[in-house]
Amino acid sequence: MVITAILTLIIAVAIGGILIGGGVHFIPVGGAPAAMATATGVGTGTAMLAAGGGLTGLITAASMTGQPVYIVCIAGAVGGMLMIALTMLIANIIYVYGCGIVPSSAKVEKDIITGLDQEKYITPGTEGHGVPTGCFVSGVIGGLFGGVGGGLVYWAAYNALAEAITTPILGVESNVVIAGLAAILGVAVFFINAVIASYNIGGTTEGVHDPKFKRLPRGVLASGVASIVLGIFIYLIVGGAL
Amino acid sequence: MDPITLGVVALMGAAATIAGATEDIETDIGSESNPNSQVQLAPQMGHLHRFINKATSGEPVAYGVWAGVAGSVAYLFLHLFNLNPVIAIAAGASVAALVHTIYTVTSHLGRIVGQSQFGQPVYWDALTQALGPIAGHGFIANFSIVAVAYLITLPIEGLAHPFPLPLLAVMWGITLGAIGSSTGDVHYGTESEFQQYPFGGGIPVANHGDINIKSSVGIKNSIDVGNFCAKFGGPLTGICFGLLVFISFWITVIFGLYGGLVAGIIIVLILIILNNRIEVFARKTYGPYKE
Repeated sequence: MVITAILTLIIAVAIGGILIGGGVHFIPVGGAPAAMATATGVGTGTAMLAAGGGLTGLITAASMTGQPVYIVCIAGAVGGMLMIALTMLIANIIYVYGCGIVPSSAKVEKDIITGLDQEKYITPGTEGHGVPTGCFVSGVIGGLFGGVGGGLVYWAAYNALAEAITTPILGVESNVVIAGLAAILGVAVFFINAVIASYNIGGTTEGVHDPKFKRLPRGVLASGVASIVLGIFIYLIVGGAL
Repeated sequence: MDPITLGVVALMGAAATIAGATEDIETDIGSESNPNSQVQLAPQMGHLHRFINKATSGEPVAYGVWAGVAGSVAYLFLHLFNLNPVIAIAAGASVAALVHTIYTVTSHLGRIVGQSQFGQPVYWDALTQALGPIAGHGFIANFSIVAVAYLITLPIEGLAHPFPLPLLAVMWGITLGAIGSSTGDVHYGTESEFQQYPFGGGIPVANHGDINIKSSVGIKNSIDVGNFCAKFGGPLTGICFGLLVFISFWITVIFGLYGGLVAGIIIVLILIILNNRIEVFARKTYGPYKE
């Protein structure tokens, strides 16, 4: 029983970390250049946008606390996808209506989903701008993976802590302490894997059709190794009380 | 469907909308968003400016900190002194505004003196006149973020979130920072900073740093940036965060547990189609840059 619980925690954190780290590679981020419509994608950093989506997923996943693991994960996926999709949609509305720009990618000749020509619609001197459909769908997939991963880590940490903490701590009810600690651990796993992935991406990416997407296996491997170590640390933080 | 829960979710959406709009305008005034790179680059291009640049931290992390400070202080006042929630949250946001102001002064001075080698002076009046709007917008944003976090934790059917208030405030703060950094900042970076270039195109790399330092009357400053972005980028950022907070909880309140998750997936599919329609509209309306 004890070994099973420890293994469940570490394996769930490892799978969750891999999903988070892998998911970040799907999200189209153009970094600072995209804020000036000089590069395709969302105009912010990789880790930050992924963290925003993941934390929304974590909040929606935690609202399903006590439900089966698949419900927690789906709730996380819905939250993550909603955040990424709404952000990309509103960003595109600003690009199109606020700046008069056509969403287009410089990494492919035709959009991978709609098949629309890209090159003619790119402002000369830029590497594309906005979030075309191919990038948008890729970003939604990234939000899905990130949300599922975040939900899985939260579920595993919550269950491990629920076995370790059974009495109030400093007058605070045990369920509040458990949820709070599980959330902090979830956020930690999310940020660490998001940053590992952003190092692997190295700046900007347009998602699945970007040449940098080929680095995914290396990023997944790094996230997996880091998350196993994290899982062991979480077990130690829980107090080894399993 | 519980009408009280639905009302609280609507209130959360409204508070989130206000938070989003003010957060974006505040970070545009302080150039804390991605376009800060242009403000930093401008002196090297010969453009000495009067803009505030406090981008020693990105928006998500910064707003995680401000909202965390506001949420923690509010939590203390709520549980130690049993204060009215509105007063407790206002007290928390006030403390966050003080921290925010100190950060603004130190980070701006740190960033701007780095450009002294290119002749960029420190304009004290430009700094002091921007402190009020930055602290004020930051106060409203943090008040609204903590209000959203507080409403989610209310012990009513469909909500009663298990996370503690300060942690929720940090998480929503980071999320809002990520949204503000991704949406409204585009209006600042692509339009406000480069108003001297024709409307309807991205900014070529060769033009980076060649920002507009003149306003309709006199030298452009950070307050002018706030005025400009409050007309489009700020409100849209508010709509984005408001919709996110509202839809995330509305779906389960209206459709229940399983129905809510299905509804969420359907909404995401609708967003994909909407985005495609906007893309097609732009292609038809604006046409290609080269034939």
